[in-house]
Amino acid sequence: MKLTFDNTSMDLTPSGKSYRAKIGDDVFDVEIIRADAERGQLDLLIEGKHVIAYVSSDGAKRWVTVNGRTCLLTKSSRAISYSKSKRGGAGHDHASELAAPMPGQIRAVNVGAGDAVKKGQTLLVLEAMKMEIRIQAPRDGIVSSISVKVGQTVEREQILIEVVERLES
Amino acid sequence: MMFKKILIANRGEIAIRIMRACKELGIQTVAVYSEADKNSLHVSFADESVLLGAPAPKESYLNIDKIIDAAKKTNADAIHPGYGFLSENASFAAEAASAKLTFIGPSADSIRAMGDKAESKTSMKKAGVPTVPGFEGLESKEDFEKAAREIGYPVLIKAAAGGGGKGMRVVESEADLTEAVEGARREALNAFGDDRLLIEKYLADAHHIEFQVFGDRQGNLVHLFERECSVQRRHQKIIEETPSPLLTPKLRTQMGEAAVKAAKTVNYYNAGTVEFVFDPQLSTFYFLEMNTRLQVEHPVTELVVGLDLVQWQIRVAAGERFPFTQKDFSQRGHAIECRVYAEDPASGFLPSTGKLLQYIEPRGPGLRVDSGFAAGSEVTHFYDPLLAKLIVHAEDRSSAIQRMQSALRDFIAHGVTTNIDFMQDVLAHDDFQNGDVSTRWVETKFNWQPAEPSVEALIAAALAETAGSSLKSNAPGLDEPDRFSPWKNQNGFRN
Repeated sequence: MKLTFDNTSMDLTPSGKSYRAKIGDDVFDVEIIRADAERGQLDLLIEGKHVIAYVSSDGAKRWVTVNGRTCLLTKSSRAISYSKSKRGGAGHDHASELAAPMPGQIRAVNVGAGDAVKKGQTLLVLEAMKMEIRIQAPRDGIVSSISVKVGQTVEREQILIEVVERLES
Repeated sequence: MMFKKILIANRGEIAIRIMRACKELGIQTVAVYSEADKNSLHVSFADESVLLGAPAPKESYLNIDKIIDAAKKTNADAIHPGYGFLSENASFAAEAASAKLTFIGPSADSIRAMGDKAESKTSMKKAGVPTVPGFEGLESKEDFEKAAREIGYPVLIKAAAGGGGKGMRVVESEADLTEAVEGARREALNAFGDDRLLIEKYLADAHHIEFQVFGDRQGNLVHLFERECSVQRRHQKIIEETPSPLLTPKLRTQMGEAAVKAAKTVNYYNAGTVEFVFDPQLSTFYFLEMNTRLQVEHPVTELVVGLDLVQWQIRVAAGERFPFTQKDFSQRGHAIECRVYAEDPASGFLPSTGKLLQYIEPRGPGLRVDSGFAAGSEVTHFYDPLLAKLIVHAEDRSSAIQRMQSALRDFIAHGVTTNIDFMQDVLAHDDFQNGDVSTRWVETKFNWQPAEPSVEALIAAALAETAGSSLKSNAPGLDEPDRFSPWKNQNGFRN
C-alpha cells in the first residue's frame, strides 16, 4: 500500500504480524502492540523501539503526536493534485492575493486601488481576538483591487486585497 | 456573612477555577455565557446558568446590564469577575454595589485609581514608588515625537486604560512612531473605549517581576512574594514561575515593601498584583502597573505559599478578617505555570481556531491543570485562545522544570495548533535554565521553528490508515466492510 503525507511517500507492506515501511531507501520494521480508539493512541514497535503515537484525522489532515511532538500532515491521494489551486495558477504569477489568516473584522484600509506599495507596507489592519493583525504587501507593486471595507467582517481565507507587480515599461 | 450564591462573570478555565472554590465553600454557582459558549464546560460545571447573548463580548461578557440582571434574576448575592472582561471595570464594581451585590474584588475607587496607567503612575511617583521614565497626557504627533526623542528610542507606547498587551507598541525609531501611535490608539479605543496613550522608556533587556498582594476590609495588607513572568510574546506572558531566580532576599524584601506601599496608596483590599520592570544589570526595579484583580498566573503563588487565593478572595469579600500577617508567609519549593494556547508560534503566534479532535491532559504528582476545554470543544475566534494552564510544584527549580517538561510531553491537543512544542523548547533552552530570559527574549533571541515531522510520525500516520487485524482496538468486528479502518467509527477519534 502506497501512502503519501506532505511530500513523503511510503510503501507499507504487511509482513506476518508486523509491517515493513519503506521510505525512500530506508526500511523500517513496525509492529502494532496496541491501539486505543478512544484516545487515538497507537503503541508501536519501530525497529524494536517502543513509540507511543496519537493520531487524529480531519478530512485529509492528520494530527500526529509522537514523543510529545505534534505535527500536522496532509494525506494526498492520486485523485487530488498537489497544487495549491486557489493561489493563482498559470498566467497569474505576478499577482498576489492576500487572504485573511483568520476570521475577524477590518479595522483600517490604508491604501486605495491603483496605489503603488512597497514590500512590507501595511495595507490593511484586521482585528481578530482583540488583536490587530497587519496585512502587509508581500512585494513592491500596485494595488489592483480591494475587496473589503472598514468594519466589514471577514472569514478565514477570504481574499482581502490583491497586489500586482508593477509593469516595467 | 458568607454568600449563598455567586455569579461568575467570566468563561473558560478561570470560571471553573472560581466555581471550584465556591463548591468547596458550600456556595451555589451561577454561570453566564454567550451563544458561542452554550456547550462550554464552565456552563455545565455551574449549578445554574444564564444566557447573555451574542458571542461578541460587548453583547455578552462585557455587557454590564445583562450580567447584573442575571445576578438579580438568579438571586445571587455576589459577583466574581475573574480576570479580563469586566474585572478591572470600576463602573461594573460600582453598579454591582448599587444593585446590592458584593463585587469580589477591590473597591471601585481602587480600580479607578490603578486602572488608569497615567494617573496611577503619577500617584506612585508621589508616594515614592520608583516608576519608568516617561510622559503622560500627550495628544499630537509632534508631542509624541518630541517625547520619544527626549526619552530616547526604543520607547513603549501604551494605552492609559490598557492591559493584557492590547494597545501597546514598542517603537524602535521615529519612522515607525506615527503608525504605532495610530495602531495603539485604535486598539485602545476598541478594547477599552478610551484612546489616551502614554509613552515611556522601553527597557530592552528587562525582566517582568510582579508581587501578589492581598488585603482584607479591616486594613490588613500583605504581599505573597513574587512571580517572574518574563517569558512573553506579544507582550503577554506564557510561562510564569516563583520564586524568581533573580531576586536576592534583600531585593525581595524591598520590592515586597514597595508593592505593599503601592497598594496602600489606593486603600487596596482583596487580591491584587503590583507589576515591576526589573533591570538585571543594575538590580533596579520600577513600578509598571497594578492589576486590581485575580491574575491568570495566581496558581504558582498558591502552590508555593500554600494559600487558596480564590477562597480567600471570597472570604474577605464576605467581610471575614484575614488571619495572617506578613511573617506567617514563606516560599516553599518552586512552581512554574505554562499557558497552553491555541496559537501558531511559527507564524507570529496567530490564534488557531477549530474543534478539538483530541484533548488529553497530563496527570501526575505535583501537577495541576486548570482548563476549560475537553475533546470536542470548539475554539472560536471570539475570545482569548487559552486552552489550559499547566502548573507544577517541586522541591526546587530544576526539578520543577523537569516536571513541566514531562507534563508538556504528555499533553495531547489535536485540531488546533498549540504552543506546546514551543514551550518545551523554551524550557530546554540554556537561557531559560539559567534564568536569563528577558521580556523580549522570545522575539529577539529565540528564533523558533517547528521540527520537521519525524519518521515515527509518518509511520504512525500510515499505520492509523491501515490498522488491520493486529489491532486490539475495541472497534466493531474486524470482518466489517471497512476493515482497514476499524476504529474510525469510534467517538472522539474522528471529527
